[in-house]
Amino acid sequence: MEPLLRLTQVKKRFGGIEALKGIDFEVFAGEVHALVGENGAGKSTMMKILAGVIPDYEGEMAYRGRPLRLKNPKEALDLGIAMIHQELSVMPELSVAENIFLGRQPTRGRVVDWRRMFAEARRILEALGYPHVEVERPLGDYPLGVHQLAEIARAVTSGAELIIMDEPTSALSPMETERLLELVRRLASQGKAIVYISHFLEEVTAVADRITVLRDGRKVATLRAGETDKSELVRLMLGKEARFFERAELVARAREGRPVLELSALTRPRAFEGIDLALYPGEIVGLYGLIGSGHFELAETVFGLARPAAGQIRVAGKPLRGGPRQAIREGIAYVPPSRRTGLFLEKPVYQNVSLPWLDRLFGPARELAAAREVTQEVGLRPPDPARNVGAFSGGNQQKVAIARWLIEPPKVFLASEPTRGMDVGAKDEVLSILRRMADAGTAVLLVSSEPETILAAADRILVMAKGRIVAEYTSGEVTKEMLVHAAAGELRKSA
Amino acid sequence: MAEKRSRTSRLAERARELAPVWTLLALIVFFGVYSESFFTLENFGNILNQVALLAIMGTGITFVLLTAQIDLSVSYMATLAGVVAAYATAGHLPQPWPIVVALLVASFLGWISGAATAYLGIPSFMSTLAMSLIASGLSLYLTRGRILFDLPPLSKTLGSGRIFGVKWLVIVAALTLLVGHLVLRYTRFGRYVYMTGANPKAAELAGVNTRRVVAWVMVIAAFTAGLAGVVGIGRLGSATPTAFDGMLIDAIGAVVLGGTSLFGGVGGIPQTVVGLLILGVLRNGLDQVSVNIYAKTLITGIILFAALVFNILFAGKKES
Ligand SMILES: Nc1ncnc2c1ncn2[C@@H]1O[C@H](COP(=O)(O)OP(=O)(O)OP(=O)(O)O)[C@@H](O)[C@H]1O
Ligand SMILES: [Mg+2]
Repeated sequence: MEPLLRLTQVKKRFGGIEALKGIDFEVFAGEVHALVGENGAGKSTMMKILAGVIPDYEGEMAYRGRPLRLKNPKEALDLGIAMIHQELSVMPELSVAENIFLGRQPTRGRVVDWRRMFAEARRILEALGYPHVEVERPLGDYPLGVHQLAEIARAVTSGAELIIMDEPTSALSPMETERLLELVRRLASQGKAIVYISHFLEEVTAVADRITVLRDGRKVATLRAGETDKSELVRLMLGKEARFFERAELVARAREGRPVLELSALTRPRAFEGIDLALYPGEIVGLYGLIGSGHFELAETVFGLARPAAGQIRVAGKPLRGGPRQAIREGIAYVPPSRRTGLFLEKPVYQNVSLPWLDRLFGPARELAAAREVTQEVGLRPPDPARNVGAFSGGNQQKVAIARWLIEPPKVFLASEPTRGMDVGAKDEVLSILRRMADAGTAVLLVSSEPETILAAADRILVMAKGRIVAEYTSGEVTKEMLVHAAAGELRKSA
Repeated sequence: MAEKRSRTSRLAERARELAPVWTLLALIVFFGVYSESFFTLENFGNILNQVALLAIMGTGITFVLLTAQIDLSVSYMATLAGVVAAYATAGHLPQPWPIVVALLVASFLGWISGAATAYLGIPSFMSTLAMSLIASGLSLYLTRGRILFDLPPLSKTLGSGRIFGVKWLVIVAALTLLVGHLVLRYTRFGRYVYMTGANPKAAELAGVNTRRVVAWVMVIAAFTAGLAGVVGIGRLGSATPTAFDGMLIDAIGAVVLGGTSLFGGVGGIPQTVVGLLILGVLRNGLDQVSVNIYAKTLITGIILFAALVFNILFAGKKES
């Protein structure tokens, strides 16, 4: 059988960096082909070539047996190659339906046929398993998971034959992920080819027919999914072993001194209600919840990005009101769940890192020196603080977002999905940075919708659902199932 | 489209940075060849003199554009400041208070439209449009439509005097640009201006009080506009209720021609200087080569439009 798409000896350099060093790659119609590899291995770059986003490269590409050279994404789309980018390109101001039909709204005569557009959008979302999304509402009203969904729906409805998904589930809850994986399988059984990039090896082994591993711009292997397992994949990806966290053994810790962060009856309508929480120096508290459970909003509110309607926030006993500036001054650090909102992609790393500290750290030389130090600490690759953030791979951008807060150790570190989009190795690195911060006395609130992340690092675990804390684990064995259950059980009951 | 942008960004940045410089050089060569009087020291002095007021105003506009806002009231603010200074002089307010009052009035009105944008969320093109009506209205009200000839002596000196053979006006313009440059380049506030324009949400997350930054750049724009007005009446020899109204397009145009992005975060005073020179050389050169006088505005307009298209093409990717 002839592959739908074939790459032969594809190479790509960015200035001095060789991102792809001669890749051979084939995708067949009807298969789910997963692509895994460390941050910066070249996954996104390779897919951007497939999707016409990067037109200048060396090597050959053939689609349905015909050699071709794509000049832009539109050409790719016309041929039936659609890509869902790692950084979403949705328009939050437009309605969900408009986002799905962006650029090809159904029309009647010359005007947009809104009724039909809404109806079709509704039908598609239902088919994808999201009947509750109101397609007339602005996409911005919905959490990131739905943004991702809109992108997927857009590709699916465009009639693409080859759909490339770059980390589609990094913002999805386990339930949403499951639905997406089902959808991916369904699309493949309809004869579509799917290239699926993910750092979640579990998903990858579950959904893929074949898996290609990239390391450092080279293809290491292409394996049948049934004949391999996670540890082999990790070994191939990293060239070494890594640990997995399906469960954790929590040990109740003796808490020293007074809590640094106290929340009492904190309430923000439509987000969370009556939250009581105390964080002690030196501990990592995992706050787990599904997307929409209010855990991200809680962190955001503590940092001063939104006003609580009721309740109190105290830092070291002192009430905290006012915005991020005051929060930072009181020793609170915050990483938002979406790196795009927190970073200046068009500005060099050092300016991204130094911005909160300019009152004592101003001047390119000093900023560069400080940035060099902290980016080394987080293992930024390449370690060049003068480069624009936008030129780094997704995972490395995330490291920049964290590095900023290492300049001055915070009292409280609110980290929302600090490991989103990171490979297993980099995840370990970031979590050990959190651990080092905790050991130095910082209280870390690790806010995540990835059970593995929470289980890998937390000393104590809280679960949020529907805006409330529904479970707390301080000692004994905790498993992924327990967390997901606690988070989803409540959700189902009240849904 | 983020990926596409990051790939082309270096090329695009280069092109965006250098295109105005090439344009300027091309214009200079062109007019140098086609006009004998163009390449004289005296004519270069003329050009500088012609763009001096625009330069003072353009300094503030640069700040505003860098935060991705716009100020459509600057020319009316200049007119108003000139009128206030002359009115107060006629009313025998001791010098230099008329000038101080004029600058304060302009700054205050700038703060109002800035605060409306920063704290109430009224788009700046709208708040400054409304403010331009207020400023214009005040000018008319104070003058009752007449021309005021009592000018502060300092205005006259700065507007039409010379020192060591150099026009004070040019010196004031150069100093304004210099101060603007130093603030943007070498102060924290300057960095906040760039970062707020590049990504307001991210700036806020890093503890930057982006609302205050926006309000302040509008004050700065109103202040430099006021300064242009106060000095400008000295050059004109009188204050009229519409003295500088026509400068709006040129002032914003010069900043954009220089390559400062309409989407914020990219550009600066050096770019504005190039933009000013392009506009100055173009205006001056068209006079020299005696094109149809009625075509001058058309040609300038076409070039400005081309610059806008260019600006959007290369900077506008941010929006996609
Ligand atoms: N526009 C660019 N300019 C310069 N270098 C780039 C650019 N895009 C990517 N690179 C570099 O190419 C390499 C591969 O990046 P790529 O984005 O393909 O990684 P990835 O495998 O998708 O990683 P991640 O899992 O972190 O998303 C990295 O070293 C990155 O820094
Ligand atoms: Mg990637």
